[in-house]
Amino acid sequence: MPLLASLDTEGGTQLLQALGIFALAGFLMAFAVLLFGKFLRPRLPHPEKNRAYECGEEAVGTGWVQFDLRFYVVALVFLVFDVEIALFYPWAVVFGGGGAPGASSEVLKEIRWAALWDMLFFFGVIVVGFLYLWRFGYLDWVRAFSGRQQGSELGAQDSVIERQTKLEAAGTASE
Amino acid sequence: MQDPVVFRVERILRSPWLIFGAGAVLAGALALALWLLFPLYKGLLADPFWFPILVMAIMLNLILSSTAICILAERKIAGFTQDRFGPNRVGFWGLLQPLADGLKFLLKEDIIPTQVDKPLFLLAPAMALIISLSGFAVIPWAGEVRWPWAPDTLVSTQVASLDIGVLYVLAVASLGVYGVVLAGYASNNKYAFYGGVRAAAQMISYELPLGLGLLCLLLTSGSLRLEEVVRQQAQSGMWYVFLHPLPFLLILVSSFAEANRVPFDLAEAEQELVGGFHTEYSSMKFALFFLAEYAHMITGSAVLVALFCGGWAPLPFSSWLADSTAWWALLIKLGAYLAKVAVCIGLFMLVRWTIPRFRFDQLMRIAWLSLVPVGIALVAGTATLTVLGLQRTWWACLGLNLVALLGMLWTAARSGRTVTGRQDDLPDIHVEPA
Repeated sequence: MPLLASLDTEGGTQLLQALGIFALAGFLMAFAVLLFGKFLRPRLPHPEKNRAYECGEEAVGTGWVQFDLRFYVVALVFLVFDVEIALFYPWAVVFGGGGAPGASSEVLKEIRWAALWDMLFFFGVIVVGFLYLWRFGYLDWVRAFSGRQQGSELGAQDSVIERQTKLEAAGTASE
Repeated sequence: MQDPVVFRVERILRSPWLIFGAGAVLAGALALALWLLFPLYKGLLADPFWFPILVMAIMLNLILSSTAICILAERKIAGFTQDRFGPNRVGFWGLLQPLADGLKFLLKEDIIPTQVDKPLFLLAPAMALIISLSGFAVIPWAGEVRWPWAPDTLVSTQVASLDIGVLYVLAVASLGVYGVVLAGYASNNKYAFYGGVRAAAQMISYELPLGLGLLCLLLTSGSLRLEEVVRQQAQSGMWYVFLHPLPFLLILVSSFAEANRVPFDLAEAEQELVGGFHTEYSSMKFALFFLAEYAHMITGSAVLVALFCGGWAPLPFSSWLADSTAWWALLIKLGAYLAKVAVCIGLFMLVRWTIPRFRFDQLMRIAWLSLVPVGIALVAGTATLTVLGLQRTWWACLGLNLVALLGMLWTAARSGRTVTGRQDDLPDIHVEPA
């Protein structure tokens, strides 16, 4: 087994080996059951069966519809935060593990506070961004859809239904 | 009314003697085969290269069969919670139900609708399964062991001992979203599409509390290797859940969300989205999604146990067996690990049948407006404790957690605004006149 033995090293190759073996096992599992079932299961295609499922109705248009803009905002905010958290990992390991091997404890004590302040500052910048998002409602999934407008007859205290009725009344009046 | 033949077969299958007798015969045959074939695999047991592969083969089998048992357990726990019997028709106490389910999945027609993106439609379930299985590579099942017939080699019961174990787990957990999103996209069905998009938003939102909770742990352990984290806990007897209960909760809640289970199963929500991302899937492909979900749950529990509940350490507050490498210690450790994972899975299931599903705005609010701020505060606090050298002192850590908890409660009590997500309770936005 010379080829396999050459793979048996520490670090990166072991990661690839683990991933490769597990991916292969998973793939074979999925493939085997699908293939095995193919010989057993009935196959009776029918145009009605093969249609997109939309509660028995004829499907309207394609399924790839436009989705809500709020999902984009979540994805963008996530991207920033996740990159930040990924940056924290090496710091956390070195910081929590007591520093680089061979470093003397005096040096460590000196740089420990510096490392903490540096990282808290970096963290702070992101937290300011987070507070901005929070304050201006980018993290709210449900947002108010009507606001107080000057000169508008819509009262802020009205309930939604009242606002709706007023809006509709205004609409019919203008027609 | 009933067909007498069917009735008779059912009654024979329901007798406990058949099930337990067959189980005993199978176990005996397996033990005999293992004993007879021992010379064949003796070399593999002590080989540091082949042993991990053997561990992988055994564990893959164990996990795939335990997913089947999980489904029965889930239905039994559902029955218990809702004061009914649960499955009890197939076999004694419903024990043959997983077999019947598997058979049914195999024999049902596999419908591939005409409108789907076929390559992606086929890829999605396989992807979900592969990704949820890959997480098992770094789980340190039972520490290291020295076999009696090869006293000079120490083999590790871990498939891959990675330097970046925790990061690998995080990466695989993030990849989990691909199976669901691909299924939602490829189905070309509106329900499936909404399910996929929801799943993406949910899973990426809950990644952040997961990452922040893990950071608190890393600041304490100083190592990304899972076996090292477990060894620290086993030797000190101080499991990290006693030091960091709030980060543990953060990760627990996030793993509920990552596994797409109730109360976080917005991606499949039967009442609103029919079946969500798996609306168009039938037969074995549908089963693969289920398998992936349960495998994901088992991985999540195993990682949680390794990081916070001492992994294979059998007893808390004691270093019993921490340095033992005997083969009998291996069995005790493995038993302890699997028992802890089973308790964790039981918790997952009880939560599923106890808590109703969240609404989507509640889901997002929990992630962004409560879990993430608490996580940020905990990371900053743990970093400060680390500088002071107190990161493993129990009163300092528990004090930090208490302060964070009180801060949460105070903030929640202070804000007078009702949080419901109804338009009536929202603050007015100020719109400048045009």
